Amino acid sequence: MLDAIDKELLRSVADLEGIPKGAYNIRKNGKLLGREVSANIEIDAHPDQEGIMVRIAPGTINESVHIPVILSQAGLHDVVYNTFIIGEGADVTIVAGCGIHCGGSKSEGHEGIHEFRVEKNARVRYVEKHVAIGPGKGKRILNPTTRVFMAENAWAEMELTQLGGVDEAFRVNEATLSAGSSLMISERVMTEGDQTASSENRLFLEGDGSRANMVSRSVLKGTSRQDLKVNLVAKARCFGHIECDAILMDRAINKTMPALEALHSDAELTHEASIGKIADDQLMKLMSLGLDYDDAVNRIIQAFLK
Amino acid sequence: MLELKDLTFTAPEDDGAPARTIIDHVSYTFEKGLFYAVTGPNGSGKTTLAKLVMGILPAESGKILLDGTDITEFSISERSRAGIAYGFQNSARFKGTTFRDLLSIAAGTDDEEELVRIIARVGICSLDFLDKPVDAKLSGGEIKKIELATVIARNPRVAIYDEPDTGIDLWTIEPMVDLLKREQESFGTTTIVVSHNKTFLEAADRLLLIKGGKIAYEGKLPEADSLLADLSACNYTTICEGEDNAGCYR
Ligand SMILES: Nc1ncnc2c1ncn2[C@@H]1O[C@H](COP(=O)(O)OP(=O)(O)OP(=O)(O)O)[C@@H](O)[C@H]1O
Ligand SMILES: [Mg+2]
Repeated sequence: MLDAIDKELLRSVADLEGIPKGAYNIRKNGKLLGREVSANIEIDAHPDQEGIMVRIAPGTINESVHIPVILSQAGLHDVVYNTFIIGEGADVTIVAGCGIHCGGSKSEGHEGIHEFRVEKNARVRYVEKHVAIGPGKGKRILNPTTRVFMAENAWAEMELTQLGGVDEAFRVNEATLSAGSSLMISERVMTEGDQTASSENRLFLEGDGSRANMVSRSVLKGTSRQDLKVNLVAKARCFGHIECDAILMDRAINKTMPALEALHSDAELTHEASIGKIADDQLMKLMSLGLDYDDAVNRIIQAFLK
Repeated sequence: MLELKDLTFTAPEDDGAPARTIIDHVSYTFEKGLFYAVTGPNGSGKTTLAKLVMGILPAESGKILLDGTDITEFSISERSRAGIAYGFQNSARFKGTTFRDLLSIAAGTDDEEELVRIIARVGICSLDFLDKPVDAKLSGGEIKKIELATVIARNPRVAIYDEPDTGIDLWTIEPMVDLLKREQESFGTTTIVVSHNKTFLEAADRLLLIKGGKIAYEGKLPEADSLLADLSACNYTTICEGEDNAGCYR
């Protein structure tokens, strides 16, 4: 049921060696390839749109759902709407991701619109990896959208990565936080050649005691370009922090725009941003430990994107 | 044996500031297996000299020989592989890179047991440090300990420590000196410590005083005793002409 390319894609987007344990839904070239549910995790076709509804029963602890998407059909542009409802008090991990294998000259793309409803006191760790491989010349396009609605005291951590191979990406992350909820987004994007990636983030802190932290790290090689916008909007007594660092190599360019908006006088919002080459003192340190220049560069970048 | 022959470094002119000789025709031979303490006023050229040896700064003229091999044209990496290690005065801060990363690069292995063995041998770094990012959040003392551990993990023939005691608490200075002595004795490491700290100076086989880019004084410890005798005032103002109580040796 899984061919060699499928297996390679699954390994790179979901660290899977074949079919995962627990609940899963694997989508290949716009069609369902396999699904498994568990006593606490239901997966159904989305009632209104192409995609799935994942319902996690309240109180579900330590379970995981894998929902990888793989694409290897030239010319296919797959659009999918997935909704996740994480019931009260649940504590789960969701592993998503999309792997494209492009073998020809036609473009291939995937647009995943993911909506999360994290109910009261629920906790979710969401891991999303995007990769593209294959010898084809066609453009590989990945446009993920993530919308998060966090109820009181909900907690979410989102690790979003795109580490190479993707020619065009338009990423959108939006979140609304109720009282006492906490959201951490860490985004890692590496572009090379003439790839472009843009990431737009809008986080609304609406409840007292809510916390949002967005950490973005980008590496840009070749003549690639990345644009990052992060808007933190505070409407309550809350904490928000943005940290974005971009490492430029070769002739790549970057635009980073962190923006803070306090619409409440007890909001505490901070940001740090940097764009630049790898610092010389970091390179010197690693070379003084015996690495060549190129190895030193690679080690610094690997650790930066980890 | 590390030989410096007529070593000179001039800082290029910069925004109107004229070119300035920082290391001025220094010749000196560091004997294999000895412990050297290098002291001298701020700005006298100690760090510059160390960076010339590590290849971080290029010598303008002169030669550097390691056990007879001319390494003057070697890159930093080549000098490191030839057996020179340098603990920076101002350690690099990274984003994402952890102590484990640095230690495994230094030791050439990521084997857990081996790394734990190195930490045990260093003694002054806690095991919980291993997965700490070496970033701006580390305290001054913590980063110094990490810096020192990465030098030791290289098993160098020549180890240069640039003010390893800065920010180190009083309780750790002695163990740090003992560690460097132990390394020197067990492995015959030529040890060069830049420091203003009495404990380090007293531990040395030889004392060097750098002033104005030159070696102003060199002596074995018993003879250099007068340099150490009076802690409240410097006896070497005539040679050193540094600021009074500049902290070079108190
Ligand atoms: N690359 C450089 N370009 C210009 N000036 C330099 C350069 N490197 C060092 N200097 C200058 O050379 C002098 C010696 O600096 P160095 O760092 O070697 O002093 P030091 O003896 O280590 O002092 P400290 O005790 O403060 O560490 C200083 O005046 C410094 O500003
Ligand atoms: Mg110095």
